[in-house]
Amino acid sequence: MAGYISPEEGTGITEGAISAWDAVIIGGGLTGLRAALQVSRAGLSVAVISKVHPLRSHSVAAQGGMNAALGNVLGEGGAADSWESHAYDTVRGSDYLADQDAVALMCREAPATVIELEHMGTVWSRLGDGRIAQRPFGGAGFPRTCYAEDRTGHNVLHTLYQQVLGRKIPVFEEFFVTSLVMDGGRCAGCTALEIMTGAIHGFASRATLLATGGFGRIFSRSTNALINTGDGVALALRAGAPLKDMEFVQFHPTTLYGTNILISEAARGEGGILVNRTGERFMARYAPHALDLAPRDVVARAIEEEITRGNGFDGGYVQLDLRHLGAGRIMERLPGIRQIAMDFAGVDPVKEPIPVQPGQHYSMGGIDVNTGGMSGLPGLYAAGECACISVHGANRLGGNSLLETVVFGRLVADSMIRDIPSVAEPARGPVESAMAGTETGIRKILGRSGGDSPFALLHELEETMFLHFGIFREGQKMQEGLRKIKRLQERSLQVTLSNKESAVNQALVRYLELEGMLQLAEVVALGALAREESRGSHTRRDYPHRDDGRFLAHTVATMEKGKVTIDYKPVGLGMFEIEERGY
Amino acid sequence: MELKVFRFRPGMSGPRYDSFEIDPVPGMTVLAGLFRAQEKDDTLAFRYSCRGAVCGTCAMLINKVPRLACRTQVQDLLEGKAPVQLSPYPALEVTVPLDSRKEVLIEPLPHLPVIRDLIVDMSLFFEYYRFIEPVFSPAGPEPEKERPMSPAAVKELVPYTNCILCGACFGACPVNARNPHYLGPAALATLYRFHIDPREAGGAPRLRRADTPDGWWGCEFHTNCRRVCPKGVPPNVAIGRARQEIKAASRSAEGRGAGR
Repeated sequence: MAGYISPEEGTGITEGAISAWDAVIIGGGLTGLRAALQVSRAGLSVAVISKVHPLRSHSVAAQGGMNAALGNVLGEGGAADSWESHAYDTVRGSDYLADQDAVALMCREAPATVIELEHMGTVWSRLGDGRIAQRPFGGAGFPRTCYAEDRTGHNVLHTLYQQVLGRKIPVFEEFFVTSLVMDGGRCAGCTALEIMTGAIHGFASRATLLATGGFGRIFSRSTNALINTGDGVALALRAGAPLKDMEFVQFHPTTLYGTNILISEAARGEGGILVNRTGERFMARYAPHALDLAPRDVVARAIEEEITRGNGFDGGYVQLDLRHLGAGRIMERLPGIRQIAMDFAGVDPVKEPIPVQPGQHYSMGGIDVNTGGMSGLPGLYAAGECACISVHGANRLGGNSLLETVVFGRLVADSMIRDIPSVAEPARGPVESAMAGTETGIRKILGRSGGDSPFALLHELEETMFLHFGIFREGQKMQEGLRKIKRLQERSLQVTLSNKESAVNQALVRYLELEGMLQLAEVVALGALAREESRGSHTRRDYPHRDDGRFLAHTVATMEKGKVTIDYKPVGLGMFEIEERGY
Repeated sequence: MELKVFRFRPGMSGPRYDSFEIDPVPGMTVLAGLFRAQEKDDTLAFRYSCRGAVCGTCAMLINKVPRLACRTQVQDLLEGKAPVQLSPYPALEVTVPLDSRKEVLIEPLPHLPVIRDLIVDMSLFFEYYRFIEPVFSPAGPEPEKERPMSPAAVKELVPYTNCILCGACFGACPVNARNPHYLGPAALATLYRFHIDPREAGGAPRLRRADTPDGWWGCEFHTNCRRVCPKGVPPNVAIGRARQEIKAASRSAEGRGAGR
């Protein structure tokens, strides 16, 4: 029948193949694409592997903007912004857990990064004089956030994708990476399942970059795309790389009630206010100076408190009121937000307040890397949300994640480019045996019978994480959550799929994701239990204060033979004094 | 209510339609409904990612209109709200009986080969996107800072930069239905976006790239593209303006030729 692909015509079952590269980049979002450009420009061979088409990456959903001390818009009293001021806000926002050298590096590189994207074609919103516009964001002392309306991620991702097309960089779309290939303690590439055909492929590489994004989907009520399952973080953990600060999970204050789609902080940056059921602007009680533009951890806790105290609306939400901004400003600066509210809640923010509640939003923790993106394993690098450098510490400021992706996409690529010439061509043997291991593993999964479906376990995991490791945490409740996670891990070994094919088997992909998610959930749980203090996003009812004596330290988690061990390492200090954090 | 879903896999001589009984929940989107169906039959295949109408992954033919599954409310369809009138093309012809008060018909995006169920091969769509060379090519050397751009110029560009490349327009275009070589609305709109970018002024002569019967001149102005676009992109406007500019340029060239 014309129009349909038959097995003989190519997209049917194909044999897996091994290919060799100087660098393999896993993930096709902002970090991955920026890194790919850099490696390609250096004349090295590079391939991007992504489980979705690159334009479907979660980067596309970033709304508000990218922070950079361009100084195009002056602050109060005519003061000009500086990278030092950006660094100070970031470190304070992190509740002093960010590494100050990494923060300084990111903030110094920020203005050039925004300009670089402009030079690649990004259509930033502009001031009347033609320069790039900037707006206020939470926890920032200056209007510092550059933006493309409220579709900044979309605009930047499309720009970088276009540049990648321009350089004809090969992209393996809809390839799910199943393992990192280890050869004598060194990462020598990866194996991947081609989702549409079921073929297993091998990628031998001198340098491998994980740029796979966060693991927000281990929680229910997440703003994240459904694909944000932390695959890269789990790959690194299984390969033996340490993870860092995994208990620090950001809950965004304003997600749309019902679907938890993000309502950008830009809505408050432009002047939107939060009100409870009595119509009170309650942030005045929680952050008398910064009000609605306090950092996200502060605002999320405030909303959750209001709801808990019965000051929320029925169902558990508060309202974000934009009406006083007027139709013109809403349509000019926040058109995407208006569209989302209308499409998904049937609310036009020009006429009605938007119902919002906090929801999981960002993974501050991730693969433990240094400022060069080097993980604990030679040959393996990580950058972007899957990594923890750490520039966000215990709480990320809005507008800093897009910045991190593009800055460190470039800088980590530079460190790969520097290292690659001294690395010998990887041997095929370990790649071949990893491919065989993946084949056997998948055959085993498909051969099971009598267990739960992956969907059932996924729902239970999400609910467990939300209930036991949400905004407010407490020792006993977390212990109970950890036990649930362990039971889910056991049950997952018996998960059974009705679909027994290897080609286009989305249940299989969901299961492979779930395996990693359950491991990450355990690491989050163990880190959160061990950290007996409240810092940034990690708030314990039983330990309500920050404890710098014991916990001004990064949590480091490693897994050996399936057992997770928690340890600590010092935070990079030196630029700013540790202070009490008030807003 | 029931989802009536197009099923196809290699080896089948043609598609079949499976019905999935779903409890309608307020606010349930077609994508959410498909996930429920998949929990009943895990062989059901469809693409998904953001579930918030920004990534462009889940365009499909829903009740004979190309739309994003994640943005389409089941209840609205059952109540017959927001109907979309389209110029006819073969994929819109009745394939299977449908009681639109109780059923939602879900089929793959037209004009692209089906890989499995609701998953189509987007290669052709992206081949045309690549054909128009969507790479920013500014005129002159790179300045140290940003190239200035007026807010008015940005406003002109934004309707086109808003394209999420979901392919809904491609699956809605009667010309694409007939002519597999037609570049299609999304690629042409993107080409126009680069053409009107003032930072490229004096750079590459962009319009010529699609000055062919399968480019600007293929459009018949059915405007289905504009009507199905989830982001309000108006490819028909871009195509109309491009044609006018090409005509004006060739008139003035003729004028110069005659005067010589």
